[in-house]
Amino acid sequence: MGIAAEISEVAARRELIVALAMREVRVRYKHTLLGVGWAVALPLSLMLVFTYVFSRVAEVQTHGIPYPLFAYIGLLPWQLHANIVTHGAQSLVSNRALVTKVYFAREVLPLSAVLSALVDFAVASLVLAGLMAWYGVAPQVGLALLPVVLLVQLVFGVGCALVLSAANLLYRDVQYMLQVGVLLWMFASSVVYPIPRGGGFDWLVWLNPMTPILDSYRGLIMGRGLAPEFWFAALLSVVFALLAWRWFRRVERVFGELA
Amino acid sequence: MSEPLITLDHASKRFARGYHVKTLAELLFTLPRRLAQQRKDGLREHEFWALRDVTLDVSSGETLGVIGANGAGKSTILKLLFNILRPDRGHVRVRGRVGGLIELGAGFHPYLTGRENVFINGSILGLKQREVRARYDSIVEFAGLSEFMDMPVKNYSSGMFARLAFAVAAHADTDVLLVDEVLAVGDTSFQLKCFDWIARKRKQGGAVVIVSHEMNNIRGCDRALYLSDGRMVALGEPLEVINRYLAESGASRDPRADDVGFVAGDDGKPIAEITSVEWLAGGQPVACVTPGQAVSVRFGYEARSRVQDPVFALTLFHDDPRFSLTSKGYLVHLWSSDAFAGRTLEGAGAVEVELEALHLPAGQYRCKAYLFEGGRLNPLYVRDGIARIECTRPDWSDERGLVDVRQRWSALAPAEKTT
Repeated sequence: MGIAAEISEVAARRELIVALAMREVRVRYKHTLLGVGWAVALPLSLMLVFTYVFSRVAEVQTHGIPYPLFAYIGLLPWQLHANIVTHGAQSLVSNRALVTKVYFAREVLPLSAVLSALVDFAVASLVLAGLMAWYGVAPQVGLALLPVVLLVQLVFGVGCALVLSAANLLYRDVQYMLQVGVLLWMFASSVVYPIPRGGGFDWLVWLNPMTPILDSYRGLIMGRGLAPEFWFAALLSVVFALLAWRWFRRVERVFGELA
Repeated sequence: MSEPLITLDHASKRFARGYHVKTLAELLFTLPRRLAQQRKDGLREHEFWALRDVTLDVSSGETLGVIGANGAGKSTILKLLFNILRPDRGHVRVRGRVGGLIELGAGFHPYLTGRENVFINGSILGLKQREVRARYDSIVEFAGLSEFMDMPVKNYSSGMFARLAFAVAAHADTDVLLVDEVLAVGDTSFQLKCFDWIARKRKQGGAVVIVSHEMNNIRGCDRALYLSDGRMVALGEPLEVINRYLAESGASRDPRADDVGFVAGDDGKPIAEITSVEWLAGGQPVACVTPGQAVSVRFGYEARSRVQDPVFALTLFHDDPRFSLTSKGYLVHLWSSDAFAGRTLEGAGAVEVELEALHLPAGQYRCKAYLFEGGRLNPLYVRDGIARIECTRPDWSDERGLVDVRQRWSALAPAEKTT
């Protein structure tokens, strides 16, 4: 099958991607009191924890941004990424009834995991608007570029979801590694503190698209523009996602046996 | 002739016994051995062919029945056709949309309502949301669950679950239909709905592949495929293939074959015994008969002592206990009465009974043979499970009820109109 045919095979199932993502969202908050409020409560409570740690226990240089706002702008997209990675990794394994009984383009499952994470992100974004108003941060012109940053983050996220979903099906070790991996990754990115430039950590910024992406969110919201490494991170994300997809297609033929 | 909808060309699939993932420790320890190992017959250690060199095609409007023992590769074929598994050798080509009843309700989520699940399941089966909306009322009506659509599926009974799942599957447009033993679940009306739907799909030019252990389902197909250890043993006219399968698989012998009772002579051995019971049609041994078919039953015997005025008898028990209508449980009783009065059995020999037209409800039967001596109430020899016979109908819709009555219909003079 040519690449064009593969793309149209996936595109033909876009309604299924949406339907499965909606199923995921509905099921996630069934039997909870807070319901979709959890999408807000999680990043918000993390923000409170880190605010306590980094304003009382240790001081963090935030370039003049109030720390709670700094942390929330980092935690909101980070939580999106963490959800994409963890739900994406589970997407094939937890849907084994579908993988072994029905055929449709397998990309549908990791893609719908990405989409369902995006729903939580949208809900939690409302709180950001509230925080900005509270701290008197006026919307900047640069906000127009936010969708581009989000798009790059999603491209990178899709690549991660494709690789991890397939890898987890091949070796269930992945889901255990991720438990600590996501935490490590968070502290290696500009989530709750800025990753300093020029201090021997530059490779961490160049190799990990999440830091330029998170710094760009902050930059745009606070009116300082994109992170200097952003376009490189964008290129890296696209290349990574393409390679991830090709690998996914290569191993996809054994999914029916392994799931 | 138009191009077939399904083409299998030397399709082969290998499986590994056990898990594919070894732990790192296992990998290290087995590395030298695995490096030295030659792939023989294209297989590595612990691998086997689940399907080997299967070549066939199924055309539009055709129904193929697949039979074979457990593990013969029946489900593997369906999964290859469904594109869930890919062949390791050979090719599998399917034209058109594939659907089926492999697993009803795949993707149903217990927490979601019937309605929500219909939309998701429809989408999984390849329908657009718009199409599901358009067919929604019809799906609900088909399932007969209009009052329960807003209830979470986890509160459904298993029958309701199956009905809803089937209703969605029945409303998906499919050209190639794969049916895996699902007909075994559900009540009779559900099964009839299934068959009715399959028959309609067939008329619309779809290809149907049915896997079943129920020979009656296979009998109604256009062709049957008999698989054993992943290989094609026979492909062709269903009755012939079924007979071959039943004969070779040992299904014609019964596990209860050892249930023997007899009157012993001085040496402790039976005075006389029935050594075999064989079903014949047109002089050929058969394991499967059609209701109304002329068949005969041949009893082989061996008498060590002389048996005066012998009486042979055979009872048939339906495997489905619901057919145990009489206190003794059998459905048919053949009795030679005084046919052999004045005769004597000595040594080995055989007797035969011709049955003009054997009308039996479809199903599988166990045979129990008796040998009596004239004037004695208790049999000399009894053997339960000495043979098995299966009765299948050539057409699913040809249902006659428990008792098949010979009937002759005619039109009388037209009735007077009352107006």
